[in-house]
Amino acid sequence: MERSFHREIEQLRQGDNGKFQGEGILAVTKAILQSGVGYVGGYQGAPVSHLLDVLVQAKDLMAELGVHVEANSNEASAAAMLGASINYPIRGAVTWKSIVGTNVASDALSNLASPGVKGGAMIISGEDTGEGASVIQERTHAFAMKSSLWLLDPRPNLQSMVDMVEHGFQLSEASNTPVILGLRIRACHVQGDFTTKNNQKSPINTIDKADHPAAFEYDRLAHPPATYAQEKKKVEERLPAARKFIVDRQLNEFFDGRYNNLGIILQGGLYNTLVNRLNVLGLGDQFGNSDIPLMVLNVTHPLVPDQITEFCAGKDAVMVLEEGNPEFIEHQIHTMLRKADIQTRVFGKDIFPTGGEYNAEAITKGLVDFLGEVEPLAIDQEALRDKAAQLFNDKAAGQEVMDIALPPRPPGFCTGCPERPVFTAIKMLKEEIGDIHIAADIGCHAFATYAPFSMGNSILGYGMGLASASAVGPMLKKRTISIMGDGGFWHNGLQTGVLSNLFNEGDGLLIIMQNGYASATGQQYIPSSTVGSDTTPMTSEIEQTLKALGVKWLRTVRTYGVSRMLDTLREAMTTEQKGLKVIIADSECMLARQRRIKGENAEKLKRGAEVIVPRFGVDEEICTGDHSCIRLSGCPSLSLADNSDPLRDEPVTQVIDSCVGCGLCGEVAHAAQLCPSFYRAERIQNAGAFTKMMAGFRNGVIGWLAGSERPS
Amino acid sequence: MSEAKTVKILICAMGGEGGGVLMNWIVNAAWRKSYPVQATSVPGVAQRTGATTYYIELLPEAVPPGAVKPVFALIPTAGEVDVLVATEAAEAARAAGNGFISPNRTHLIASTSRVYLMPEKMAMTDGRVDDDELADVMAKSAHKSVLFDANEAAKEAGAIVNAIMLGAVAATGVIGIELDDFIDAITDEGKAVESNIAGLRSGFEIASGQKKTEDQPDNVVALSEAGTQSKFPDSVQPVLDHATKRLADYQNEAYVASYLNRLENFKDRDSDLLEVVAKQLALRMSYEDIIRVAQAKIRAERFERIRNETGANADDIVIVTEFFKPGVAEISDLLPSGLAKSLIAWGEKNNKMDNFGFGMEVKTSTITGFLKLWSLAKLKWWRPKSNRWQVEQANIEDWLELVESASVLNVNFAVEVAELARLIKGYGSTYRRGMRNYSRIVEEYVRPLVAAGAVSGEATEQVRRARDAATSDPDGADLNKILSDIQVPGTIAAE
Repeated sequence: MERSFHREIEQLRQGDNGKFQGEGILAVTKAILQSGVGYVGGYQGAPVSHLLDVLVQAKDLMAELGVHVEANSNEASAAAMLGASINYPIRGAVTWKSIVGTNVASDALSNLASPGVKGGAMIISGEDTGEGASVIQERTHAFAMKSSLWLLDPRPNLQSMVDMVEHGFQLSEASNTPVILGLRIRACHVQGDFTTKNNQKSPINTIDKADHPAAFEYDRLAHPPATYAQEKKKVEERLPAARKFIVDRQLNEFFDGRYNNLGIILQGGLYNTLVNRLNVLGLGDQFGNSDIPLMVLNVTHPLVPDQITEFCAGKDAVMVLEEGNPEFIEHQIHTMLRKADIQTRVFGKDIFPTGGEYNAEAITKGLVDFLGEVEPLAIDQEALRDKAAQLFNDKAAGQEVMDIALPPRPPGFCTGCPERPVFTAIKMLKEEIGDIHIAADIGCHAFATYAPFSMGNSILGYGMGLASASAVGPMLKKRTISIMGDGGFWHNGLQTGVLSNLFNEGDGLLIIMQNGYASATGQQYIPSSTVGSDTTPMTSEIEQTLKALGVKWLRTVRTYGVSRMLDTLREAMTTEQKGLKVIIADSECMLARQRRIKGENAEKLKRGAEVIVPRFGVDEEICTGDHSCIRLSGCPSLSLADNSDPLRDEPVTQVIDSCVGCGLCGEVAHAAQLCPSFYRAERIQNAGAFTKMMAGFRNGVIGWLAGSERPS
Repeated sequence: MSEAKTVKILICAMGGEGGGVLMNWIVNAAWRKSYPVQATSVPGVAQRTGATTYYIELLPEAVPPGAVKPVFALIPTAGEVDVLVATEAAEAARAAGNGFISPNRTHLIASTSRVYLMPEKMAMTDGRVDDDELADVMAKSAHKSVLFDANEAAKEAGAIVNAIMLGAVAATGVIGIELDDFIDAITDEGKAVESNIAGLRSGFEIASGQKKTEDQPDNVVALSEAGTQSKFPDSVQPVLDHATKRLADYQNEAYVASYLNRLENFKDRDSDLLEVVAKQLALRMSYEDIIRVAQAKIRAERFERIRNETGANADDIVIVTEFFKPGVAEISDLLPSGLAKSLIAWGEKNNKMDNFGFGMEVKTSTITGFLKLWSLAKLKWWRPKSNRWQVEQANIEDWLELVESASVLNVNFAVEVAELARLIKGYGSTYRRGMRNYSRIVEEYVRPLVAAGAVSGEATEQVRRARDAATSDPDGADLNKILSDIQVPGTIAAE
């Protein structure tokens, strides 16, 4: 991790009545320290990466508070870490991106939930759903239900989120159950403020250590026959305790409204969007006053039947605002009302989209449909529909004005990314030997699924690329290529992919992108990372690990060497040698490298040392505007410029100022024999006296020669 | 209770551009004024280049601590955006398409600059979205708009684009935060204060009309008006002017004469046909070979241009390295016919045409490197003796004859046949692919038609479609489809 979180760490030090101003996920980070956690762990992933990034850097503060911090190797490892709270009265928090992280963690979670916890245990779950999401749109709610974990979904303002963290730990302890704090993307990134409290120390921590390990208690093992008793406890003791706590501490919020015969039950996370729509439709104001009574579920699992029935009793109808599929809350509400013999009508997924984000349009449409069905006399239906129509009309008007078919702009490889050349080489190989089955994976390299590469037949999860090709290889005449990042390798791929392939005498080619970081999530360190100029890995080297596992065919190739990469790929695809072939595609993440080099160069310039900065360029006169170079690269610094040749119409390729001189353009021009338009220009600052003198002499001679060639 | 209205600001940016910086400046300035404010975004942590948005809501009215705060939305809504900032023209248009720019409400601040989308860049010809169409969308959408090249403005002010945009936001006067508030916020933050404030002021001046932005000089060199060839009609003089200069530089005056001579046949014909032939003939006669590349690489003004690109100061040294990989084709280009034919035969037999060559990195900023290219450029006297010359001249004659025969049957058709020469360009495999496509269209469709002596209006359209197909994908899939769909006269009889 090269980025510095110095300012953020200062915010975490604030005491009572301080004012925190910043991002939601950092507010939550502050809240877990205020709650007195003894340990924190997790695995990075948007939108919760910053929590761990900041705490990993905040070594001094963590040492003062006696907090143990781990950047776990994957989410299962993080979930298992919560095991400390089973036997000890220590609070702990772990974080990851859901749903995928929860999937990986789920084995440990089941085994954690069964014995339950003494110390409060919290999972900060980044709910990566809706616009901007990068994973499958499944619900964490299902895990909470099947494992009996409590699920918090606070209103998305900093104070509510912080309060729910503190309540959450208490709820966890009151009911001996781990809790999940689910935060949607925009809630994690929301900028706001809240009033801080002092950070608390855990009663047992890395400074004040426990004298004795916990006594042997068979009941605390997730092992039969204890598991049967634990299953009973979940329902008969922990659930009632949790419900009592939710009611006593008023974790769910009720807002009165004048239309008492109606009601809206909503997930806390949707509160802001709903209030906003009520305001626009004339059913409330911007300060949260609503004409329709609201029941805000800051705890979405478990529901409290008495609260639900009390809210619904006497009402003609309620509307349930529940994002995601299936509609677990709505089903439970139906059951509760049925059992209590309450005849209030329940509207939910019948008027709302089954899946997808509940944005302004979805909620507006739902509200209008709901009020249209129940027809409260006080509401002028026509006026309501007119107000609602405004939104849709504005959208339609926009679509009418914007009649250009604009392709989407997905994220892509950074300028100079070391992974790009590997896909350039694969694209060239495909031109030689025909199409290839490519098992893609999670990581920056997944951007190769977009143009100009458009590669990848499957994505099965983080580090699962090789495993996902294991039954494809034996069915195809040609070998398969699997992609894995170094992050994915350590997260999961080592066991799931490599070991399984070796054990089953598989074949095929695995490319491991070794760029030194978990790059897609913000350049976090991984076991094979090297720090600064030190070339020894922090923990283990991938090459040594593969050898130790028993990989026989193993090549490490510098990614920017396209010709060599192509030769190595060709050899791997065609060699007679059976067994797994691994190419380690090696070059540091350019984003991290540039961040480092920038500082180093500034320092060199300051003390007058020589600094060389390369970039590439295109000779416009030589470029014929075919853009093959772009189709083999897609680098953001390769752009287009109008052709100044009046005889030609096609725009020429242009290298814009963002070029970092990675060298790929030169390599591609060579490897693909494209065209001689490209050149590399190196600017040398603070050159030595001799170098300068030589340069002056050269320029003189060249100037004279060039002058003689100038057209008369 | 407050009557002030929430102000809604949407920023459309691209990952890695620092749109979050702009968002934070606005949020910090609002905090300083004790305005209730909320901002959020949907960027991934490190994802670059993709479209991202940042959304801010604020109430432009100071609230005392403890007062009820407004509940702000986290998602922008169509028709409810007061200020829309877009750092790129297509993203502004995209926002318009999503209904975020309303004629009765939205102040649009957009850069007219483009960051091309991948499909625009990948096209084998010109795949760019029309700038005028984008401008049209922006002009139609907004209540008030400030449209300017923010990249240029940033360069001029020595600032980052976001500072310019912030100044323009202040100039809208609708968010309750004045220029001075932003200056204070930036000063407080203490990062790159001088350049950020310079950018801020510049953006403010542009948006408030105090400073006119220069219209970008069109960097397309216009066809000059200097007429030189009196016997040709005026309409074609600009093309001839360029063509003759180009060919004189490429070879010599005799070659120019030969060009004009070849054009002679088309002199009194349809003016469109004459112009197309004049353009394409000049391009074909100045075909790309190593000598031409060397000529271009050693021009004196080139080194100055490259120095400027690197941003070098007078004291700095700039080293320029060229990348060449002459293969069988490029080498045989320069050999006499007999030798060249043997080499090509060897290359084709051993599959060496596309993947064999001598990779060279030549430093043209050194004397030896420069001399290599200088000597190659001097080789132009040898060109007429080379195999490539023989081949090209024969192909040109063949093409001219075909165009001429076609023109007797149907002038419009002949124009399209002449335009087919556009397919032949580039180097190495690009050239071979173009030549292959050209030959297929000519041999499988054009020549049989001309031979049959009947050309319909539909045929003209077919040739144009075939040309488009040849440049729509590098694999030739579209061209295959078009050619197999076209009814070629005589093919049935021949089977």
